[in-house]
Amino acid sequence: MRETKFIRPPRLAEKLFEWYCSNASVDDLRGDMEELFYLNLERMSPARARMQYWKHVFAIIFSYALKRRKQKSSYHTLSLNSFNTSMLKNYFLIASRNLIKHKFFTIINVLGLAVGMSMGLLLIALLSFVSTYDDFHENKNNIYRIISKTDDHVKNREFASAPAVLADRIKNEYPGVKEVVRIDKTLTVEAVHDGKQLPLNGYFVDANFLKVFSFPLVKGNLATSFEKPNALLITEKAAHKIFGDTDPIGKIITMGEFGEFEISGLLKDHPKNSHMQFEVLTSYQNLEKTAAFQIKESSGESWKDFRNSYVYLLLPDQANTKDTEKYLNNIAQKVYLKEENFSASFELQSVKDIAPGRDLSNEIGTDWGYGSIITFTVLTLLILLPACFNYSNISISRALKRMKEIGLRKVMGGHRNQILGQFIIETVIITFVSLSLSYYIFALVRYEFLSVIVGGSDILNLDTNARIIFYFVLFALIVGILTGIIPGLYYANLNPIQALKSKPTGNNAKFSLRKTLTVFQFALSLGFIMSVVIVLNQHRQTLNYDFGFNQANILDVNLQGVDPEIFKNEFSKLSSVQSISMSSSVMGAGYSGIAWVKGIDQSDSVDVAQLFIDHNYLSNLNLKLLAGTNFTENTSTNSNRVIVNEEFLKHFKIKQPIDAIDQIFLLEDEQEVVVIGVVQNFHYTSLHDPIKSFFFRFDESQFNIANVKVASTDMFTSIGEMESTWKIIGGEKKFESKFFEDEIADSYSFYFAMVKICGFLGLLAITISCLGLLGMVVFTVENRTKEIGVRKVMGASTSTITMLLSKDFTKLMFIAALIATPLTYLFFDRVFLRMQAYKMPIGALEIIVSLLLLFVLGFATILSQTVKAAKANPVDTLRNE
Amino acid sequence: MKGYIGEFEELVLLTIASLGGEAYGVSIKEDIEKRADRGISIGALHSTITRLEEKGFIKSRLGDPTQERGGRAKRFFELTQAGKVALHHVKNLRDELWKLSKTSLSLSK
Repeated sequence: MRETKFIRPPRLAEKLFEWYCSNASVDDLRGDMEELFYLNLERMSPARARMQYWKHVFAIIFSYALKRRKQKSSYHTLSLNSFNTSMLKNYFLIASRNLIKHKFFTIINVLGLAVGMSMGLLLIALLSFVSTYDDFHENKNNIYRIISKTDDHVKNREFASAPAVLADRIKNEYPGVKEVVRIDKTLTVEAVHDGKQLPLNGYFVDANFLKVFSFPLVKGNLATSFEKPNALLITEKAAHKIFGDTDPIGKIITMGEFGEFEISGLLKDHPKNSHMQFEVLTSYQNLEKTAAFQIKESSGESWKDFRNSYVYLLLPDQANTKDTEKYLNNIAQKVYLKEENFSASFELQSVKDIAPGRDLSNEIGTDWGYGSIITFTVLTLLILLPACFNYSNISISRALKRMKEIGLRKVMGGHRNQILGQFIIETVIITFVSLSLSYYIFALVRYEFLSVIVGGSDILNLDTNARIIFYFVLFALIVGILTGIIPGLYYANLNPIQALKSKPTGNNAKFSLRKTLTVFQFALSLGFIMSVVIVLNQHRQTLNYDFGFNQANILDVNLQGVDPEIFKNEFSKLSSVQSISMSSSVMGAGYSGIAWVKGIDQSDSVDVAQLFIDHNYLSNLNLKLLAGTNFTENTSTNSNRVIVNEEFLKHFKIKQPIDAIDQIFLLEDEQEVVVIGVVQNFHYTSLHDPIKSFFFRFDESQFNIANVKVASTDMFTSIGEMESTWKIIGGEKKFESKFFEDEIADSYSFYFAMVKICGFLGLLAITISCLGLLGMVVFTVENRTKEIGVRKVMGASTSTITMLLSKDFTKLMFIAALIATPLTYLFFDRVFLRMQAYKMPIGALEIIVSLLLLFVLGFATILSQTVKAAKANPVDTLRNE
Repeated sequence: MKGYIGEFEELVLLTIASLGGEAYGVSIKEDIEKRADRGISIGALHSTITRLEEKGFIKSRLGDPTQERGGRAKRFFELTQAGKVALHHVKNLRDELWKLSKTSLSLSK
């Protein structure tokens, strides 16, 4: 006896071999391998001998020898013969016969899968478009963006932006970079041309911007268009909005505080799949000229300014990004060394990784963070998976009807792989039928979907092309295969003897899985329904909220460049007009930018929201002055006066409103302002944001909106009168007016976006769960027809039988309600409403309404089938043998 | 052509013949490896044996279980008449080609 006898071949390999060979006769092969193992033990270390054994196992598993032996051991000699097209034809035939024979289940399955898959199509179209982002840049492989990580010992933040001074440093010091482009996105103004006003968004960019990025010019010279001072490039779409069909080149346009610009070039509209979104471009020098920029520059804080400023690099081919990053972080270390509580580091991000990409703060344009994509994927799966499980459920629960067929197939030599294949083919046929239906749903909802997501139609294109259609087909195939596997495996593993006797095997475990799924589906549906009801109610409550000022009967008229004095003179002649005030924008829906304010003896500035108004505004909107006075009618004295809110006092630690009067503060351009009044806090912006420091200023040149208080019983004729007055002073321009209340309601329209999304998802979820439930009920009722007949003969009433049949399903719905109600409540209470500074409580009413809706739908589904079965004449059901 | 055999098949057939009654998986593998000085995979060997058996060149019988290899039986192989004919075919073909060779195949100069 050798001592090596005690070392055994690796157990796992033996087990794997045993499992793979199942019932094929391989005793001699195992003997050979074992003998070789012991031979090897004498020649080499046990570890190597074990390795050899593993090698042998795999060599035999993949060998022709074992394939033949496995074939011999299968039920029938012909069963593993190479791919058989006549069998395939047979599967199609049987599948289509089955689908036609059981029309009801086919319809349920196709509907359910189509609804679920439509979400999948939406996701695929979205993903495949998002993946093309920034593909159009010729230099896409060499463009990188510098992104920053900052740490101020309170919060770690990741910015898509970087300080602009960094770019100067790189340009002067680092040779390994071809081009450095600075971009600043603060060029967001109400542009004015020929009395026409239009909001424009754009960037200040270095002159090499168009060289690095592929944004073609339609008109103008690439080299010279940036050189002239105050030259402006404009996209075709924006140009059309301002200038109509006339040639924009050479036209002068006023860009708010940045002064007058001359259009020097016309840009082709950038493609939707650009992560930069702009309407105008101008030279970075125009930003450097501004007072605010120079103050920032001289403050020594420029290295800490991460807002709105972006640095893009064009590296040479095959450049090493690691070296560049190392260089950047060397700078970072030196620069931030002297900061006590602040440090930052830089990273390069390829332009191809920006969208979709990491979730970064302060994105330059379109934000396709992984976060939002993952959320959408999860939502899709939440809808799609229940639909797939429904199919599996229904297929397995119909086992009794198909067992004989499967048993016979097996006895005639059907291998389990073939049975599995048959079911997968059957499922794939169903998913392809569903695909055409779900494509129809997809085509219906895609534009709705675009309108719901912010700026959807500007950044996303869901049109289909050959590539996307190919993905759709692939998707249907994959869904079919994955969905078909569950019932396929169930049938493939049936014992033919039991199958022929029509005895279901191991059905109990499957049944509990089905119950769990039903509960899950209904919980999900309830969650969506509750979301819709809660959000709708939030919206209603928000509009009835006391904003702290009067919004009734006030008509906001867009001045569109008309002189406020003339407007006031003309409109005050109308009998229905009670009073008129002027303001720079509509309060409660937004405000006119931010001013940086500091006390005389302070160094740090505070951001204060501001609105420009005239002396009538406070009384017109019933705003309460706590101390001090209103603006005077004499406009010239008002220019450096402000009226602040209570929060402003709190921020500057002024205890009594009266103490604030006559205090002096400094604005960012060193202008002094004097507080002349204090107003009670009110919601100057949306309820999502808390009330912060705010002040009113008086500047006639900023007036855009006239607030006309109307006292009239007949609004219709009043507005008609106003329109005719407008024609005198406004000429060609259309009379644009809106009631204050409506305007505020509009600013909360995002609630409707929420309602639409939740409503759509809820509709899908509830359709799928009801279809699933319907399938289960119908099946149970069919199987119990005879039992019901016997019960009726024995004297059971229709109602008792209905109860008996409905009891189980009702229980499932109650469990679902018990799970979903607290979860949804917690979600809205803890997460969603936290995003609002002033939240409304969720009432019991919302919960009751949603539960009621769910139960009505659920019961309708259950009762539609059970009542019919209970009413059936026992004579018919019992005779039905 | 029916009865065609490849180089490796020929090697296996001849080894089985040379081992007489003692030809089974391991002994064939060891013998070829020793004699031809080449490593052969056990999977490839058994595949070839299976093919040869299907072509009817060899037949097999299961031996008695022995102690030394975990109590598993050996499968012994022996040549059939057809196997012998096939070997003859190959050999005749080769001899003929040797004889017809116009270049001198002698290694001595």
